[in-house]
Amino acid sequence: MEEEAKKERNEEVESDGGDGGVEMVRVLVVDDSPVDRKIVEMLLKKSGRMFEVIAVDSGEKAMEVLGLSEVTIGRPHFNDQKIDVILTDYCMPQMTGYDLLKAIKEHDSLKSIPVVMMSSENDPQRISRCGGIGAEDFILKPLKIKDVQRLRTYAVPRTPISKSGTKRKLPVDLVAENSGYETCQRVAKVAVA
Amino acid sequence: MLPLCSRVLLSHPFSPMSLMALREQLNMLVNSMYIEGLLDQQFQQLQMLQDASSPGFVAEVINLFCEDAERILTELTKDQAVVDFQKVDAYVHQLKGSSSSVGAQNVKLACIQFRQFCEENNKDGCLNALNVVKHHYYLLRNKFDTMLQLEQRIQAYDSKQQN
Repeated sequence: MEEEAKKERNEEVESDGGDGGVEMVRVLVVDDSPVDRKIVEMLLKKSGRMFEVIAVDSGEKAMEVLGLSEVTIGRPHFNDQKIDVILTDYCMPQMTGYDLLKAIKEHDSLKSIPVVMMSSENDPQRISRCGGIGAEDFILKPLKIKDVQRLRTYAVPRTPISKSGTKRKLPVDLVAENSGYETCQRVAKVAVA
Repeated sequence: MLPLCSRVLLSHPFSPMSLMALREQLNMLVNSMYIEGLLDQQFQQLQMLQDASSPGFVAEVINLFCEDAERILTELTKDQAVVDFQKVDAYVHQLKGSSSSVGAQNVKLACIQFRQFCEENNKDGCLNALNVVKHHYYLLRNKFDTMLQLEQRIQAYDSKQQN
């Protein structure tokens, strides 16, 4: 029954899961660029099958996935899809990544979900702004494999991911070498068709 | 111009030599794109992500990039009489981002210059920059089209060999 409910929810958003029956880190990717979404999805897929990806193209849709949207009918179910970490672009039209971050961190049921920002540009002010309200990290685009691998360090899996049942320690080289924030230049909010 | 023997062999799409010639042609094309500055190492990163389980990944990314770029260029070409610099900057920022992600180096650099003119509220500069971006984009797109055609022919040959 849980699988059927999961299947129904996943039909509404892009989702690429890994092996059935193995709990992995569930990542919500938020980016208005279809190119970047595709690339990030592939990077996550290539990272040793550790991630299950749900990708949306706006902050508003991310809010729906998390159960924060006013569109949700009836009693809201927060984080129904059990998102373990959110990877969001900073510069998006209408609802920016910062707006999304703020909304999540202001919500009691969701504020524990780690949020990692992505940006193509450096802006120290913006980085510190995001860090100031709880962003875990700021990653410069274009992303590399090592960037997505370090998402594992932020997410706490719901259950062990190893099929054999033995505990896996995170290799030291996957720990973020540089947790310094990168900046993102401010972009005017523009409605994009 | 390819030597006559290669041209003859290429006219027989599934002959053994034509596959080698196709691969060589593809390699030469991609190498020339790096040398001419059309592509940078980010494109190599994308190529490395493609494998047997995702054979069409690079083609998908290229197609997404081209659709997005042409949407943006269409918007930028509208209403050139009055320039809304903030709006233009936002579009160019998007194009810069996607070109950077794909490894479209010349397009990316042209976008950086374009944004500079936006910051300066320089209308003539913006109009010129738009032409430069278009020039680099359409040059790149033509090469991408050729690249994808060659890849399709190579994959068709490989599929035929497996069957």
